[in-house]
Amino acid sequence: MFLSGFGPLILAGTWVTLKLSLLSLILSMLIGLAGASSRLAKAGLLRGWATVYTTLIRSVPDLVLMLLLFYSLQLGLNQCTEALGMEQIDIDPFLAGVVTLAFIYGAYFTETFRGAFLSVPAGQIEAAIAYGMTPWQSFRRVLFPQMMRFALPGIANNWQVLIKATALVSIIGLADIVKATQDAGKATMQMFLFAVVGALMYLLITTVSNLLLIWLENHYSAGVRKAVL
Amino acid sequence: MYKLTVNGLHKKYGQHEVLKGVSLKAKAGDVISIIGSSGSGKSTFLRCINFLEQPCAGEISLNGELLQTVLDKKGSQRARDPKQLQKMRTELSMVFQHFNLWSHMTVLENIMEAPMHVLGLSRAEALQRARKYLAKVGLNEQQENKYPAHLSGGQQQRVAIARALAMEPEVMLFDEPTSALDPELVGEVLRVMQALAEEGRTMVVVTHEMGFARNVSNHVIFLHQGRIEEEGHPAQVLSQPKSERLQQFLSGSLK
Repeated sequence: MFLSGFGPLILAGTWVTLKLSLLSLILSMLIGLAGASSRLAKAGLLRGWATVYTTLIRSVPDLVLMLLLFYSLQLGLNQCTEALGMEQIDIDPFLAGVVTLAFIYGAYFTETFRGAFLSVPAGQIEAAIAYGMTPWQSFRRVLFPQMMRFALPGIANNWQVLIKATALVSIIGLADIVKATQDAGKATMQMFLFAVVGALMYLLITTVSNLLLIWLENHYSAGVRKAVL
Repeated sequence: MYKLTVNGLHKKYGQHEVLKGVSLKAKAGDVISIIGSSGSGKSTFLRCINFLEQPCAGEISLNGELLQTVLDKKGSQRARDPKQLQKMRTELSMVFQHFNLWSHMTVLENIMEAPMHVLGLSRAEALQRARKYLAKVGLNEQQENKYPAHLSGGQQQRVAIARALAMEPEVMLFDEPTSALDPELVGEVLRVMQALAEEGRTMVVVTHEMGFARNVSNHVIFLHQGRIEEEGHPAQVLSQPKSERLQQFLSGSLK
């Protein structure tokens, strides 16, 4: 029988990994945009907080952060519920995984976006402002589309690292690819085979997303003259 | 009735005062050239008119409507109502030295962008306007789907002028529009600007082109160290300069 009947379990694990990485990606990109805007803001306080955030997060291993955040989220919630005299609420591991990953990768996206924002020539924004656009319009119509071209290589990089980092959530009890293939390996005594299957699943996800990213890079490179050698 | 009046504009960068009370009045159809050596404050003055830079003091009115300002902590003016400033900016289109065409949009998209998203025109109306003004600056439909990077400097600046025209502004501001161009491309841009002047458009032009200042404009302002050193009709100011500074400046710039 194909994969000794563990096929559905592994597919379910793949689906968990996919959901987890996509949701974390979206959330961490939002955090990254906010972080980059803060780091480039005029207000010193915002800049300070964003700098502390990116420096701290990027200096501590993901695994350590994941344990720290996962337990501290639960501890914080316990204190709240205790103070309010309510029963303990257990944090859903999936939600905890998404929040933790987004919080970690938000720091990397902050730096990616900051670099990209700085790469857009000031004259582009000046023209937008001079033609009566609101700050939001000039962000949405001019700054964002131009910034994306500079950010995409970094986004692609972060995305790939993020997908692989989701493997860490198996330690907080999520049934992702790693957990599913490990379980299957243990049950069938074929650890190696199932480790390979797990690896292939990750390879499949990253390959498909690379194709999508190539398309996006072309999309956001409209109007850029390419040097011909 | 003046279209644009600027009264006693002051601007400081830290301790350094770059504008020390500069004023300007433009009637409909006036073409005002602002000349002066680099560092005289002429570009800063133009950029203060639409608040790309914030002056420290002074008043700006368009069609008799005064821009309401408040002073921020650093002593620079801010618009009291951002909406008023935005509306004023749509009536003061600017042409930049380095064109500043939006590089991710085609020629047509560049021209249609602000009319559609700022003025709220429909796509069809904006397209009609864009084609009309592209023809006016001498570009044809073959160029309209190109990106700015694929055009020559002169073509880019003419697209930028079409973009400014598509706003159907009250006053056009030109910030050294030919300074970034190769000498052989300067002419095509100046000819477009001369045609606009002949149509009776109100223009304020910061320029190094003495020929343009002399032949096209009807008023010349000579700025020196943040002050108006001399101003008047070009025939008088450029041919019989009174101030020693202007005499020096002209002998250096005219061969």
